[in-house]
Amino acid sequence: MTDQNLARGVFLAAVSLAFGLGAYMHYPLGTFNRAGPGLFPLMVSSLLLVIALAMIVRSRFVAPIAMHFSVKNIGLLMVALCGFATLSKLLDMAVGITFMVFVAGFAATSYSFKRNCIISASLIAVAFGFQHLLGLNLPLF
Amino acid sequence: MDILHNLAFGFGQALTFQNLMYCAIGCTVGTLVGLLPGLGPLATISLLLPLTYSIPTGGALIMLAGIYYGAQYGDSVSAITMKIPHASSIVACIDGYAMTLKGKTGLALFTAGVSSFIGGTVSIIVISCLAPALGEVALLFGPADYCALMLVGFVCVSFVTTGSLLNGLAMCLIGVLLGQVGTDVTSGMPRYTFDLPSLADGVGLVSVALGCFGIAEITKNLDEKQQRTPFNGAIKLMPTWPEFKRIIPSALRGSIVGSALGILPGGGPVIAQFAAYALDKKVSKYRHEIGDGAIEGVAGQAAADEAAARTSFIPLMSIGIPENPVMALMMAAFIIKGIQPGPNMITEHADLFWGLVASMWIGNCFLLVLNVPLVRYWLSVFKIPYYALFPAILFFCCIGTYSVNNNLDDIFITSAFGLGGYVFMRLGMDAAPLMLGFILGPMLEENFRRAMLISRGHFGVFVERPISGTLIGLIAAFIVWQLVVFFRSSGGGKQAAAETGGHGPAEEIKTA
Repeated sequence: MTDQNLARGVFLAAVSLAFGLGAYMHYPLGTFNRAGPGLFPLMVSSLLLVIALAMIVRSRFVAPIAMHFSVKNIGLLMVALCGFATLSKLLDMAVGITFMVFVAGFAATSYSFKRNCIISASLIAVAFGFQHLLGLNLPLF
Repeated sequence: MDILHNLAFGFGQALTFQNLMYCAIGCTVGTLVGLLPGLGPLATISLLLPLTYSIPTGGALIMLAGIYYGAQYGDSVSAITMKIPHASSIVACIDGYAMTLKGKTGLALFTAGVSSFIGGTVSIIVISCLAPALGEVALLFGPADYCALMLVGFVCVSFVTTGSLLNGLAMCLIGVLLGQVGTDVTSGMPRYTFDLPSLADGVGLVSVALGCFGIAEITKNLDEKQQRTPFNGAIKLMPTWPEFKRIIPSALRGSIVGSALGILPGGGPVIAQFAAYALDKKVSKYRHEIGDGAIEGVAGQAAADEAAARTSFIPLMSIGIPENPVMALMMAAFIIKGIQPGPNMITEHADLFWGLVASMWIGNCFLLVLNVPLVRYWLSVFKIPYYALFPAILFFCCIGTYSVNNNLDDIFITSAFGLGGYVFMRLGMDAAPLMLGFILGPMLEENFRRAMLISRGHFGVFVERPISGTLIGLIAAFIVWQLVVFFRSSGGGKQAAAETGGHGPAEEIKTA
């Protein structure tokens, strides 16, 4: 079982180190009266690291909480969104919308080809309305 | 007299056909989206912000404000009828849902609608009186004071929204760090951009908001295999005269509590509704009924909720510092429209300020008309099954992201923040303080660097100035209090463990 409290502390420590080391190694720090671009992010990430360490220590003294992480649904939505963007760029937004609806549909409690066709057609019609009525510059048809 | 004159000027601005239309659209769309369980005001504004890009400034702000308080009300409808609340309607679940179980859904919705109207009206009077005066006070603020005020906001929001100071502060700091992505305004050096041109201007607000709230919320609902149960109960809306008489005192109490708490940093609807509910439980004539479906349990919190939602505009418009995440998003909307909220806003953009204040009351009337007689039709929204709804929400997230820069690559960034938002959710971290940190981060850095430049690098400037000194003192006192509470509770835990056999809390946990 992954302890949510510990995982939170480790995650925050990773974020703070990523930003803090980036600031320290790549940007001039300057002095407090003439701060460089790296100083403020370094200060903030140091503070975040202190909080992360406090959380890691605290996780030893409080009841562990099981962390639930389901890769399936978030993974499907990521594929649907990225596929939408890629297909809209390479082919047409109508293809992107259809791909998104059919892939995201797998995350629903039930899957229906007919239902997905209806949703896709409705969303393409809405996109068409956005393009022609609101003047949005959508890559559609 | 000045206030009346200003309000008359504001009504002149707000009562144009176009602005009336934007106000009505904002209230309607806000209520409709807010009705959808899981979508609170923050998510609703994030989703609908792109709709206002092509609208004139005054109309856009009026529409966004309408979306905000419309969503606020819509949210309470889902809480009363289905016990599915968001942060702004947690208290409505208690007595509101208890009334639904007793078959008094109509009365609960009527009470919430009328009380919201009363709360909104009282708060508008407060805004008209206080905002200009507070704007003059804001002129006394220097860079160090602004830094201290933002830190107070971080501490308060962190504690109030998440209940854990450490979690909330961590999210604020992540938000501040994300706000560092882009070109450094002082040196012109790109930071954390990985040489990607799309990151040169920083991460888009819409991408962060839609990712962390829209997409993460959808995934959470899908994980929970959410299936809507259509609400088909019969509704009798009109109360009897004795029932109506019970609404007024409680709503007035809630309005006053909400108006006061909405102004404080970290305040806003969430804390106001709890305070109003607690007050009613103490002083109401029917306090013994509260908790089992009493009118007072719905009226006071609904009025406080709506009043606080409106008075939280005061610090934003008069000092330029948003005091909760929703206001941070509103601030971003102001800035996108070229308006810098702050002490000069009231004088430089008097038409916008007073127009917005007047539109709040007009919005109040729209909400009353929309929600009291028409609420039975709104409830049909619940009949849309989630499997049909979520692809549409995903589509609107994509269109919203794309329409900011007409750039499909922004959708990849939104997806990344969707994943980030989901990770935060699974780690038990509320993304709301992140938004505040993200929006205030660049401002905090700018004021910090300016304060240090003026003081020649001495940190003493933060405690020497009366305003910043007081605010830093408040933060220190709050942190000390939190530490004392933590050590006392862990000490108490150890003592209890010793009494039950000498195991420390950690050992007990491991053996469990």
